[in-house]
Amino acid sequence: MASQDTLSVSEVTPERTWRRFKFPGSLYRYLGLLAAVAFLSLSVNYLNIPLDRFLGMFGRVGDLITDRYYPPDIEYVTDPDYIASVIETIQMAYLGALFGMLAAVPLGWFGAYNVSPSRRFIYPIARLLTMSARAVHETIWAILFVTILGFGMMAGVFALTMFCIGFAGKLFAEEIEAIDMGPVEAIRATGANEFKVMVYGIFPQVRVAFTGIGIYTWDVAFRAATVVGFFGAGGMGWYLKRNVLQIETQRVAAILLSIVVLVLISEAISAFARAKVAKAK
Amino acid sequence: MTAVPHMDQRLDAFLAGRRRGKTTRTLIYLVIALLVIWSVKTTIVDDTDWERLGSVSDVLASIGNFLAIDWGLMPDLWQPALETIMVATLGTVLGVISCIPAIWFGALNISPFPPITYPIARLMMTLSRSIHEIVWALFFVAAVGLGALAGVLAIAVRSIGFIAKMSAEAIEDLDPRPVEAIRAVGGNEFQVFIYAILPQVLPVMVGVIIFEWEINIRRSSVLGLVGAGGLGLVFFRQLNTFNEGGVTAVILAILLLILFGELVSYFVRKAII
Repeated sequence: MASQDTLSVSEVTPERTWRRFKFPGSLYRYLGLLAAVAFLSLSVNYLNIPLDRFLGMFGRVGDLITDRYYPPDIEYVTDPDYIASVIETIQMAYLGALFGMLAAVPLGWFGAYNVSPSRRFIYPIARLLTMSARAVHETIWAILFVTILGFGMMAGVFALTMFCIGFAGKLFAEEIEAIDMGPVEAIRATGANEFKVMVYGIFPQVRVAFTGIGIYTWDVAFRAATVVGFFGAGGMGWYLKRNVLQIETQRVAAILLSIVVLVLISEAISAFARAKVAKAK
Repeated sequence: MTAVPHMDQRLDAFLAGRRRGKTTRTLIYLVIALLVIWSVKTTIVDDTDWERLGSVSDVLASIGNFLAIDWGLMPDLWQPALETIMVATLGTVLGVISCIPAIWFGALNISPFPPITYPIARLMMTLSRSIHEIVWALFFVAAVGLGALAGVLAIAVRSIGFIAKMSAEAIEDLDPRPVEAIRAVGGNEFQVFIYAILPQVLPVMVGVIIFEWEINIRRSSVLGLVGAGGLGLVFFRQLNTFNEGGVTAVILAILLLILFGELVSYFVRKAII
C-alpha cells in the first residue's frame, strides 16, 4: 500500500478545533447574551417581582380556579339580557370593521410605496396615520371615545374603527406593494389619472386578497370588541366588568367561557369564508 | 360553419355564469347594507345619549381639551416607560419558556401521542389567543395581587398562543432528512431536537418572538389600567384627575415607546437572522 508515501492530515496542517463562532463574532454574541441576562435580572429586581413566591403561585392559581371559578354559572350566560349584549358586541365589531376598512382602503393605497400618488407628502402621512392607529391600544381608543362621546356603543364602534384602520391599513398597504406593476403602467400609459389607475389597475389585482383580509379583520375586531365594553363602550365587556367588580367569580368564569366559545365560532366562520373567497378567485 | 353555433353556446353559458355571479354579488351587498342599517340603528342611533353629547361644537371643545398637551408631564414618564418595556420583555421571555410544551404537543410530526396531546396543545393556544390581555391581567391580579408580576404573567400567557402556533407550524414544515441523519448516527431524542430540529426552526422562532415582543410593548402599556403598573397606570391617573393634556402626553409617550420597539426589533432582526 502507499501508506508510507501519503502524509496523514495532521502532519500537513496543524491541529485545529472547529468552532461555530470565530473570535470577534463569538465575543459580540456572548456580550449580547450577557447584556440580555443582565437586563432581565435588572428588570426582575426593579419591578420587585417576588421570585420566591413564583413557584407557590401555580398552586394558588390552581386553588383559585377550583375554589372560586370552578362551577361556571352557565345559567347567567343563557340569560336573554346577556345574549342581547352578545349581539350588540357582534354588531359593534361588524360596524367597526366595516368603517375601518372603508378608511383603510384609501390609506393602504396612499401608504403603498409603489403606487402612492405622492411619495413625498401623502405616503408618510398615510403611514403615520396607520401606525398611530395601530400603536394606540384598542382599550385606550375606547376610553378616549367614551370621554368624548359619552357611554354607549357609539364610542365602541369608533374605537373598533380606529383599531381596524391600523390593522387593515397595514395589511392592505403590504398587499398593494406586492402587486404586478404591468397593468398599472398600462393604465397610466393610456393617460388615466391616479384614481382611474387605482380603480382599473390596482383594485382588480387585490380584490380577492382584500376580501380575505376584510373577513380576518372582522374576526380580530370581534375579539377586541369583547373588552371595549369594559371601559363603558357597550357590549358584553360591561357584564364582565360588573361581575369582576362584584367578585362574582363563577359568573366571570361563565362569561369567559362564552367568550372562548364565541371566538372559536367566529374563527371557524372566518376560516370557512376565507377558504370560500380564495376558491372563488 | 359548425364551429360558430358551438361557440355561441359557450358564450351563452359564459354570460349566464357571469349574470349568476352578478346576482349573488348583488345579494351579498344587499345583505351587508341591511346589516349596516340595522347595526347603525341599534348601536349608534338608539344607544347614544344625544342630549349629553350636545352639539358638534361641544364635541369639538372636548376634543380640543385633549389637544392642549401637557408637556410638563413628559419627564415623569421615563420610569413608567421603563417599567412597561421591562414587563413586556419579562412577559415575552416567560411566554417563550412556557410555550415549549405547547409547541412540542402541537406539532403533529413530533407530538408524543397525537390523539390526546394535540388537542391539549390546540386548546392551550386557543385559550391564550381568544381571551384578551386585560381579562388575563384581571385574573392574575386576583391570583397574585396588584403589581408587575400580574402584568408579566398576563403577557406571558397571552403570548403563548401566537408563538406556539407559528413555531409548531414551522416544525411541521421542517426537512426530515437532518432528523434521520442524526438518528442514524445514534443520537437520542434530545440530541435530535438540539442538532436537527432547533437549527431549522430557530430563524422562524426568533422572528416570531421579536414580533411578539413588539406587540407586547403595546399590550403592557395598557395593563396599568387594571393594576399592573407602567404607563397605563399614569394614563388612568391623568384621566381620573381630568388632566386631558396629560392623557395626550401619555399617549404620545406610548407612541414613542412603540416606535423605539420597532427600531430595536429591526436591528435585532438584522443582527440575528
